[in-house]
Amino acid sequence: MATRKTIKTRPVPARSLKKEAAAPKRGSRLAAAVDAERNGAVVEADDAADAAVDASTNGQSHAGANGKPPRRATAQSMAAKQRDISVSEFFAKNRHLLGFDNPRKALLTTIKEAVDNSLDACEEAGILPEIWVHIEQTSADRYKVGIQDNGPGIVKKQIPLIFGKLLYGSKFHRLRQSRGQQGIGISAAGMYGVQTTGKPVKIISRIGAKKPAHYFEIQIDTKRNEAKILNGGGEGVDIPPGDKGVKEIERHGIEWVDVPHGTRVTIELEAKFIRGRGSVDEYLYQTAIANPHITLHYTDPEGNTRDYQRAADRLPPEPKEILPHPYGVELGRLAAMLGEAEGETITQFLVGKFSRVTPAVARKICTAAKVSPRAWAKRLGRQEADALFQAIQATKIAPPATDCICPIGEELILKGLHQVVPGEFYAAATRPPAVYRGNPFQIEVGLAYGGAAATQNVDKDLLFDLLEETDARTVRQFLIHTFNGLGAEAADRILKAAGLGTRQTPKTLKPKERLRLLEAMQNVNVAEGQSMEVMRYANRVPLQFQQAACAITQTITSTNWRSYGLSQSRGGLPKGPVYIMVHIASVWVPFTSESKEAIASYPEIQKEIRLGLQAVGRKLGMYVRKRLRVKQQSDRREIFMRYLKEVAGAVSDVNGVDKDGLYSQLLSVAKRVTADADMKLDDRGRKIKDEAAELDFGENVLIVDPVTHAASINRAAAATAAENTAE
Amino acid sequence: MARKKLTTAAKAPKVKLTPRDEKTAERLTGLADRVVTAANNRRDPYVEIPSRTLANVKYSPRKKIIEMGSATNRRQLFDLSQAKAYMRTMLVASGCKKLIDQGKSTSLRGMFYMLKHTIEGSKENTFDDQGECDTIIEDVEVLLQSIREELHLYAENRGAMVGNITFTDKGDEINCAKMGSGGYAIPSIVEPDVIVLDKTKCKAKFILHVEKGTVWQRFNEDRFWEKHNCILTHGSGQPPRGVRRMLHRLHNELGLPLYCVLDNDPWGYYIYSVIKQGSINLAFESQRMAIPEAKYLGLRSIDFERCQLSDSVKIALNDTDRKRARQVAQYPWFEKKPKWQTEIRKMLSNDFKLEVESLISKDISYVTEEYVPARLKEQDWLD
Ligand SMILES: Nc1ncnc2c1ncn2[C@@H]1O[C@H](COP(=O)(O)OP(=O)(O)O)[C@@H](O)[C@H]1O
Ligand SMILES: [Mg+2]
Repeated sequence: MATRKTIKTRPVPARSLKKEAAAPKRGSRLAAAVDAERNGAVVEADDAADAAVDASTNGQSHAGANGKPPRRATAQSMAAKQRDISVSEFFAKNRHLLGFDNPRKALLTTIKEAVDNSLDACEEAGILPEIWVHIEQTSADRYKVGIQDNGPGIVKKQIPLIFGKLLYGSKFHRLRQSRGQQGIGISAAGMYGVQTTGKPVKIISRIGAKKPAHYFEIQIDTKRNEAKILNGGGEGVDIPPGDKGVKEIERHGIEWVDVPHGTRVTIELEAKFIRGRGSVDEYLYQTAIANPHITLHYTDPEGNTRDYQRAADRLPPEPKEILPHPYGVELGRLAAMLGEAEGETITQFLVGKFSRVTPAVARKICTAAKVSPRAWAKRLGRQEADALFQAIQATKIAPPATDCICPIGEELILKGLHQVVPGEFYAAATRPPAVYRGNPFQIEVGLAYGGAAATQNVDKDLLFDLLEETDARTVRQFLIHTFNGLGAEAADRILKAAGLGTRQTPKTLKPKERLRLLEAMQNVNVAEGQSMEVMRYANRVPLQFQQAACAITQTITSTNWRSYGLSQSRGGLPKGPVYIMVHIASVWVPFTSESKEAIASYPEIQKEIRLGLQAVGRKLGMYVRKRLRVKQQSDRREIFMRYLKEVAGAVSDVNGVDKDGLYSQLLSVAKRVTADADMKLDDRGRKIKDEAAELDFGENVLIVDPVTHAASINRAAAATAAENTAE
Repeated sequence: MARKKLTTAAKAPKVKLTPRDEKTAERLTGLADRVVTAANNRRDPYVEIPSRTLANVKYSPRKKIIEMGSATNRRQLFDLSQAKAYMRTMLVASGCKKLIDQGKSTSLRGMFYMLKHTIEGSKENTFDDQGECDTIIEDVEVLLQSIREELHLYAENRGAMVGNITFTDKGDEINCAKMGSGGYAIPSIVEPDVIVLDKTKCKAKFILHVEKGTVWQRFNEDRFWEKHNCILTHGSGQPPRGVRRMLHRLHNELGLPLYCVLDNDPWGYYIYSVIKQGSINLAFESQRMAIPEAKYLGLRSIDFERCQLSDSVKIALNDTDRKRARQVAQYPWFEKKPKWQTEIRKMLSNDFKLEVESLISKDISYVTEEYVPARLKEQDWLD
């Protein structure tokens, strides 16, 4: 890890920063806003952007006032303003680019950065990750977040560098399937915290059971991009292992879970906690699904704890790093790489910097590009680079190796979904690896169906227990939190049907109100009007924004789900209690934009997604139709039963036959005729379990009884029990 | 489970049955017994109901009437789409058996109320409206080959007659020349045991049948039947079985020719077709009802020009009209009649229809004083 560190702490090339920073440099009001920010005043990035627009429009109207526009600046005056910007200053101006657009997103990004780091560190060290996330509200718009792992820990001298220096794009140029491709570094989160609250980042890290825990309080010096260590006289402090140490950590206001090794980072920041789309809840929930090997303990600002227990005891294999494939390189990037190719001939450059390029292939490319294979790569002109680029596209090159990709795998997708998403039917499909523009990638699809009915499966005793256990403040919250997959809208419908107010407290419900709630829960069809929940992942990281712009969503909506037994209006998401996850694993995930929240629509990628969707769709179709058939059979019997008495009575009226005798005989005929329904239903009208055995779903399907399914009901009691065993 | 054979023993009826009733009761019992047999054999009980669809009617060019074919539809108890109809069939059978046993009869509506109730353990009714019950009754008629009267059922009276004829109805003498403005309401059952015709008491020379009561009223008010010495009838649109049977008897037993004055639209053509050849739905009754010699006097599609009517009386054809007209043109009994083909084609090219009342735009009594007399005189009709 130490070696990796050295690469990462490399300062960011000023060149690339300057280019990006140049744009917002116009309005003086923006500069003022940035200054204000540096001085500790809080200005939202959105506001700053607005200010920039204002400034430019103001400038224009000014120009028009005296007819001839005044010369606004000279090359000299501009040169005076041109200077290096520190990384931190860049961040201050551009934090909206980095996921800190607004307080809501800042919270999410902070947690994402920390969790991603924890997972990466654990996996790299071969440790099954266990992660604790705690969000606590400290004032109206401030939250304290603590993220801890059981990872390898960080050696003392590295801690200030990791958390106190802004690293930019540390995983950027590496072609290896990793989470960090989207990351901007944990120190950015720390800096945001310092900027908005003035509170230092607190880190506890320990590398062994008998080793002391290192404790640092760090404040980032924005101007100099350096860590300022506040405690231990600028050295940090070592806290001895054992009970005494634990007490000491507690005194610092840190909820350290005493693990032999691991890291906890605590950041206080200006933030806003929300639920639903784009929330921390959603991020952690989706992360648990795509990472079934992790255990996650999550305590939200309301004090609710949600535990995601690992479903797999095996770490995913370590992804390999590969060289880029020539087809995948863009012209600009090729030119940049040529510029950096010190002392290499074109042939050496092509063979050495790319995968699948043999000397023979290199020669072919050179011939096609009309450049000498022995020319110095660095000396290549713009036009020659262009010719080289064209030649690469025109030359036949073997596709890249695909063994560098580590999919989650069908079995673990099923486990992950089953552990987290309520449902009765699960299917998964991992497509074979494929290639887009020279980049290997692999698509995986998982599907969970039928999970919304948990409210309908609750009996009186269980509901009363749940109402006793819950610490939710309102009945509405109780419903949403207890019954996974139940949306706010469905919860409101239940409350309305029960005639309860949204603000009523679960504990104070009168017995009559509880019964009304039970009845409403059983009668309201919560699946009604529900549409498919789409969970998108890139390299196991959930994509939570820009759903509509994403190739995954587009492929889902253009798939005909009606043929798989779901209803769907044209071009829309299908309806029903169904969750779908689509994972793209790749050494280089093509995002539509900088914010890295939507997958670009390459035909190769869309095709693979479609095939994956169809694979799970077909299985779903079989299941849904089967279910329908069982239902029809039992409906059928019900109809026959209803008419049999009438028929027996009428016949008896005509010919005097014994009415009851005839009825019971007809009944036995009815049973024979609808035997299908009999076989598939137990006495409570639910289908019996060995049903799957009869249907040939092929592999990678999981069918469960939704009632006994742990993921369907979130019990406070169970959560605390789990926490106790963990400690 | 030990199989206990079910036995049947019909209760003795309360009244002495006529031989005809006995035969009907026997058929009903047979129907019920087949259910018991099926149940005894653990079989799915079913009935074979002669199909009452266009596909199962044949036109007999010799007899010039529609006859029912031999195709049947199986109605099973244990079939989701048929279970309810099966149950209803048995209910109607039991209702009829009750009527026969008690020596009573009832209207179709009465039967509907007799059988309508909520099915035990559900919110579902055996029947929701009378139409549902009427269809099942027709099914039972064809199933048992017993006509409605034999099942002790009658329909509401519909249709009226006036004219130079006297007959007895259940022993009461009816003089149709003295019926005032309302006329004699033609009963649903006009069989000889109810209505006795006497050739000597009929002065009328023909029957004029009009489509609706309103038109009939016009003719009656103008004393058309007196002036032209005929019998004047209407059937409130599609004539019910009582009216058709009455026309049939008057025509066949008293030798009176029948002329029809109907609207010039596909529906009017269809009514004529039913009177003349019989209906598809009740093809089994054609023998007793169809009057192949009936003539179609009007209105004709040439009447707009012929009578110089004003544009305001035109009623545009709609899609159903056009479709229906084409269907009628293809009926085997119209298919080979060039005059009918011209008639229907003309209406389609007119693209409008004419009601008999449209002639009023000429003069209130144009239809009774000019139109019909002229057609009769010129023997100008379609056959
Ligand atoms: N929780 C942690 N446990 C162990 N090492 C960590 C942890 N968090 C960060 N690191 C180390 O610090 C490095 C820098 O992290 P970061 O600034 O987030 O950049 P990146 O994640 O893009 O590498 C990581 O690559 C890792 O080696
Ligand atoms: Mg990171």
